[in-house]
Amino acid sequence: MSKNKAFYLNQLKPGQKCKLVDVNIGGATGQRLTDMGFIPGVEIEVLRNAPLVDPVELKIRGYNVSIRHSDAKYIEVNIL
Amino acid sequence: MNKNKQEYIVAVAGQPNSGKSTVFNMLTGARQFVANYPGVTVEKRIGIYSYQGQKIKLVDLPGTYSLTSYSLEERVARNFLINENPDLVLNIADASNLERHLVLTVQLLEMGMPLVVALNMMDISKGRGFEIDEESLAKELGVPVVPTIAQKGRGKEELRQAILKGCLGKDKYKNSLVVDYGQKIEQILDELTQNIANDNRYSNYNPRWLAIKLLAGDTEVRSMFHQ
Repeated sequence: MSKNKAFYLNQLKPGQKCKLVDVNIGGATGQRLTDMGFIPGVEIEVLRNAPLVDPVELKIRGYNVSIRHSDAKYIEVNIL
Repeated sequence: MNKNKQEYIVAVAGQPNSGKSTVFNMLTGARQFVANYPGVTVEKRIGIYSYQGQKIKLVDLPGTYSLTSYSLEERVARNFLINENPDLVLNIADASNLERHLVLTVQLLEMGMPLVVALNMMDISKGRGFEIDEESLAKELGVPVVPTIAQKGRGKEELRQAILKGCLGKDKYKNSLVVDYGQKIEQILDELTQNIANDNRYSNYNPRWLAIKLLAGDTEVRSMFHQ
């Protein structure tokens, strides 16, 4: 894995798309993300932020899901 | 447990937003009552209906994304499946969002549960341009797959039929799906599975499932082995 420029999902703006590299969190949160399809290689589109910024709505595997920025920051991605 | 086959017990499992409750209501109508799972404040809905003279008791499991031991709901659902040993599990999957919903399906199959899959929300799925080959899916999973639109009551008869067949052990499918975790992991899994299968303390469980959970570091399963 190239370490020169790691982006995390919380850094993306609405409208941007990315490919998931890794989920850097384990435990219940990591498991839940995995269950919902956050698996390396999957494409994610950032749709919009809620009025008070958190949470962020994403499109993944054909469905929409909202997650917290505090969880999104563990999701390492490549911007497309 | 005294199980005269006067009534069959069917657990209803599904991810959140799979339309689990709608299917549940479609099948059972008004004959429902609500209790709690023992010791925890998780609602347990039970419904009974009769089909071709056979009493079927549906137990609604909490909606969960998967069957790990991280959340209370998941533990409740999992423990019910293991301890109560239902005659059949009815898995509700949202056909418009199938990829995610099949995660739970595969986990149920891994537990060795006798399964019937209801592909719900077929109308929305079609509206989104999906075309699902139910026959192939059923073959691939090794369990019956019944398309439904629970909100409109579609597929009720077919589903009731599939459930009865499943309870009587008469459906033509045999749970056959085995996830291949790759050679390295499979080697370890095989060894663990053998050891577990030879130990009668774990005869209640599907040995391969226990082995997978052990490897995955599932805290509940691990503590079981520490004792």
